[in-house]
Amino acid sequence: MPRIAVDAMGGDFAPEEIVRGVAQASLESDIQMVLVGSADKIQALLDAGPYNPELISVRHCSSAIGMAEDPREALRAKRDASITVAARMVAAGEADAMVSAGNTGACVLAAAKNFKLIRGVKKAALASVFPRQTEYPGQDTLGLLLDVGATIRCDAIELTQFAVMGSAYARRISKVASPRVGLLNMGSEESKGGDVLVEAHRRMKSLPAINFVGNIEGNDVATGKADVIVTEGLLGNVVLKLIEGIGEIAATLATHAAQENWRWRLGMAMMSSGISRMRDLTDFRTYGGAPILGFESLCIKVHGRSTAPAIRNAIKVAAKAVRDRISPEIAETLASIR
Amino acid sequence: MSEARVSDGGAPAAVEQAAITFRWDLDKTYLRTQFESLRQMVKIPFEAASDKVHLPGVPQVIQGLRRCALARAQRPFVFFLSASPPQIGNAIREKLELDGIEYDGIIFKDQLRNLVRGRWRSLREQIGYKLGELLESRERGPAAPREILFGDDWESDPLIYSVYADVLAGRLDAGAVGDLLRTLEVERGAIARVSRAVEALESHSEVVQRIYINLEKRTPPGRFHAFGPRLVPAFNYFQTGASLFELGLIDDAALTTIANALVEEASYSGDRLRNSLDDLVRRGHLRPSSRTRIIRILQAAAIAGPAPHEAMLRARLRAAFERLQARWRRGTPAEQLPELDYAQILRDWTGREV
Repeated sequence: MPRIAVDAMGGDFAPEEIVRGVAQASLESDIQMVLVGSADKIQALLDAGPYNPELISVRHCSSAIGMAEDPREALRAKRDASITVAARMVAAGEADAMVSAGNTGACVLAAAKNFKLIRGVKKAALASVFPRQTEYPGQDTLGLLLDVGATIRCDAIELTQFAVMGSAYARRISKVASPRVGLLNMGSEESKGGDVLVEAHRRMKSLPAINFVGNIEGNDVATGKADVIVTEGLLGNVVLKLIEGIGEIAATLATHAAQENWRWRLGMAMMSSGISRMRDLTDFRTYGGAPILGFESLCIKVHGRSTAPAIRNAIKVAAKAVRDRISPEIAETLASIR
Repeated sequence: MSEARVSDGGAPAAVEQAAITFRWDLDKTYLRTQFESLRQMVKIPFEAASDKVHLPGVPQVIQGLRRCALARAQRPFVFFLSASPPQIGNAIREKLELDGIEYDGIIFKDQLRNLVRGRWRSLREQIGYKLGELLESRERGPAAPREILFGDDWESDPLIYSVYADVLAGRLDAGAVGDLLRTLEVERGAIARVSRAVEALESHSEVVQRIYINLEKRTPPGRFHAFGPRLVPAFNYFQTGASLFELGLIDDAALTTIANALVEEASYSGDRLRNSLDDLVRRGHLRPSSRTRIIRILQAAAIAGPAPHEAMLRARLRAAFERLQARWRRGTPAEQLPELDYAQILRDWTGREV
């Protein structure tokens, strides 16, 4: 059974929501979990709710990296930070994967410092799932976008490797036999987007290991045309935050409209189940996080504002990724195209 | 008016100084009885002994306690106290025999008599019934100088056992117990019976050494803090066994047998057992040094693998620190028993004010 190290001190609502998420997972699964953080605080939180102690162990460490801290500085100054200790445990084989809702930069750097890159991989990519339309029954309601922040700029080879890694992850986690891979660009034509994207398009098109469907424009990100969308970190992060922002604005507008006058209130009441469904669909708390791909070891990064259900889901995703041998599969696919 | 009861088993009248009594609840403590729904309740009287399922490791705990007490030249007494009707007694006795449990008495609640006499409240009432039975059972003998109690988190065992322990210790008198029972709306007959038994106690001493509560319902352990360190909420019988081992009530072999039972009957792994121990340490119910000893026992029995180097080093450092502390502070946590605040306990557990 996989053993997952969970950074108990990372995230806007840590350690309370992280510990609650682990406690929930302990009652619903047989995954072994290691909570990394202040042992006293963790036990006090465990004591307050139901949990299964047989599946939970605690690794005490004395410090944590705040969400607003400079990642590089903080990692240098706090060698015993929960996120570093969790990464070290995975690197030492004491855990099979790690989950963190903490500082994204620190999470990526801790992974980079402690994990080995898969042979041949130039850069790791931070993936994220996002809600989207489905085109056929049974299609996963979540798409995969990578990179969303582990890099700033990428070259064509790096983008092609992201495509291979994202495809392997979607194949295993979303159970799509042949995930459609798209390259985020400013037009659908092969010649659009400058030298790097044109070269990346050429490389992806020639790869039999992935099901490349060409360029994807911004208005098609959420339509379900591609299961995996590849982009460099800067642009990916902007797209991801835009999607999150739209969901939040829609909810705010609905609340505002409901307060305006009785006709709007009535309309909103009639649409309430639809709005609620939309909110669920765009709620990052239900996704369960997304991986940093490209390392031999696995790290699932959860949104900083995640509450217990997201942590629980992230632990399940991490365990599934370990069981399904995501990293070895990526390594094998990359080896086959070299 | 006394509560209807049916008992069997011969309890010697003479008090043995070198004796120890183990009192067990049956449903949810020994047996995995399902009575959450009406359908499950209706099924219970028709269950044969072979249909009844014990909790993993519990027969081995009882057997270990008996064997080790005899090895220490102590006379062990094992009593069961159940709120189930005597009509299911035969199946229970057969089940205990199947499990190889030797016991000295078993008490059932005569629900049929309560029903015939139209005592509806008595059918559901637990606290007055059990407290009365515990006190009278001790009055009848044996009045062993040490008792260990085993219950669960399903109903009111933590409260009943704590009151019983404090009555024996002389911390609660008949008046205080009466006030508690009246707050809990226990019927007058049961209160009178308990009060009489409390007044009949000739001497008081710290008899109840530990109260083990099986967390069958997974009640958060923090809810039991108000009951003090004497009460140990345990998630499985390996945790109970570990605590009993620390008290010197079971030996290495018994603890290994309990661990093996959990591995064989409930697919426990070495990791699960190790985590259970660590949980008990973090909750303050087991010393790190005892944990280290128990891990060694599990490793010797090939139940647990070697600990990661770093964790082992940390455990040794903790144990060494604890030995240093022990030079200044003697006694296990439960021996420094604070006075329980029953008014607070009743507020927390029943929402009632004394």
